[in-house]
Amino acid sequence: MDWYSYIIIGFILAGLFFASALYAFHWASKNGQFHELEKGASSIFDDEEPLGKQTDFFPGHK
Amino acid sequence: MKWPALFFIISATLWLLAGTALGLISSYKMHDPNFLGNWEWLTFGRTRSAHLNAVMYGWCNNAIFAVGLWIMARLCRTEIRHLGLLIVAGVFWNIAVTIGIGGIFIGDMTSVEWLEMPTYITPLLAIAYALIGVWGIIAFRYRQSEHIYISQWYILGALFWFPWIYSVAQIMILFEPARGTVQSLTNWWFAHNVLGLWLTPMALAAAYYFIPKVIGRPIHSYYLSILGFWTLALFYNWAGVHHIVGGPVPAWVISSGIVASVMMVIPVIVTAINHHMTAIGHFRQVIESPTLRFVVFGAMSYTLVSFIGSTMSLRSVSEISHFTHLTVGHAHHGVYAFFTMIMFGSIYFILPRLLYREWPSKFLITCHFWFAALGITIMIVTLHVGGWIQGLEMNNPEIPFIEVMKGTVPWLKARTISGFFLAIAHIAFAINVFWIVFFRQGQEDVVGTPTLFSSKQAR
Repeated sequence: MDWYSYIIIGFILAGLFFASALYAFHWASKNGQFHELEKGASSIFDDEEPLGKQTDFFPGHK
Repeated sequence: MKWPALFFIISATLWLLAGTALGLISSYKMHDPNFLGNWEWLTFGRTRSAHLNAVMYGWCNNAIFAVGLWIMARLCRTEIRHLGLLIVAGVFWNIAVTIGIGGIFIGDMTSVEWLEMPTYITPLLAIAYALIGVWGIIAFRYRQSEHIYISQWYILGALFWFPWIYSVAQIMILFEPARGTVQSLTNWWFAHNVLGLWLTPMALAAAYYFIPKVIGRPIHSYYLSILGFWTLALFYNWAGVHHIVGGPVPAWVISSGIVASVMMVIPVIVTAINHHMTAIGHFRQVIESPTLRFVVFGAMSYTLVSFIGSTMSLRSVSEISHFTHLTVGHAHHGVYAFFTMIMFGSIYFILPRLLYREWPSKFLITCHFWFAALGITIMIVTLHVGGWIQGLEMNNPEIPFIEVMKGTVPWLKARTISGFFLAIAHIAFAINVFWIVFFRQGQEDVVGTPTLFSSKQAR
């Protein structure tokens, strides 16, 4: 196969890649990923590392 | 997550040291070409490319695997499966890069920028990466969290983007080379996307996680962060052409690259707003946390380097800056001041929590930060200024080329000095890393830090 064929295949795969990105966006929207954004932003906190507490210090300091 | 993360962090540190040494040698040779001139394998062409690849595929990728996968594991909040997969992948990856760098030294280098490692290692890299990618997907599939945090989006995106760009580049340039300028376009599409769709999302994932996490406040505007992710995904991959503005490529292709480069201002401003507004009023905490010092430095650098980059893509600017040291300065601005500093910060957060131990030396951390910050600032300033002057002079037909070159030498010497600062910083970092990993047996001093090792969180 010469390079031209590879590029055509490349374009097809790129199209699929792009389609999958569109799908991901659509799925996220349907799945409710874009609702309740405040809750989403706070999702990295939990009981051990609650909101409002600093969680990293130089050694020996607190 | 403990053993794979440890493996990747240690590998990354070793590659960082190797890459720094190679960079120093290359920098020195630029103003003193006879340095180490007796050894064929250390000619500038080889050391420079070895530096590039060691830093990118050695340091950057290992750091990404450690940090990105650790954040992924934490956010997926699931029992970590198949750790062996990651270790096998890591071993293969590092063997491949070692052979690749060796290949460069013995003269097997390809002539393609960012793909200099000889193609006989590509299959090994591909296998290693596939294992890591598979792990990422499995971890995501079994996630316990309902919400997909922004960092997970960035990490997953990067995990998909990298194999795509690498494969296309390998096939279209090396395996079945495309004709003429298409190769060049593919090359710079690849090279730029390695920075923008692999390094950048991973670093942003880390910044979006650690800044709110350490400060204790959620990201200022989560909506903006989602906008930032999708605009990055939309615009970034078009921007690569800005490396060949003025080249023998259709004008519309160049223009699309410039437009995309300028549109990138949107996700960059979005990210800047988010990080700044989250950190504002908490600057004391930024100083108090080793992680945040590095991460915030990196995040601020991201804003600056991106604006400079968007400006550099304009035809009138590129006319002066192209083919000068300014481009090199810009590259280091992005890969070091942005990506590497964020990775340092991430490792300072992760390693103590993996090992249940505190960092042994506060002095080394401070040393690391200041020498790195100073070093990279000097490097960026000297290369940007020197490069700009070089560009202006080169555009002036009155000035002979050799005079322009001689004019760059003081700037290059300053760059070597900055390289020494970075080397000191990295040695300080490496000492701390090996100290905490290998020499703190039995000193489980987690008094005073919150316990972070419940079964819910990944370790």
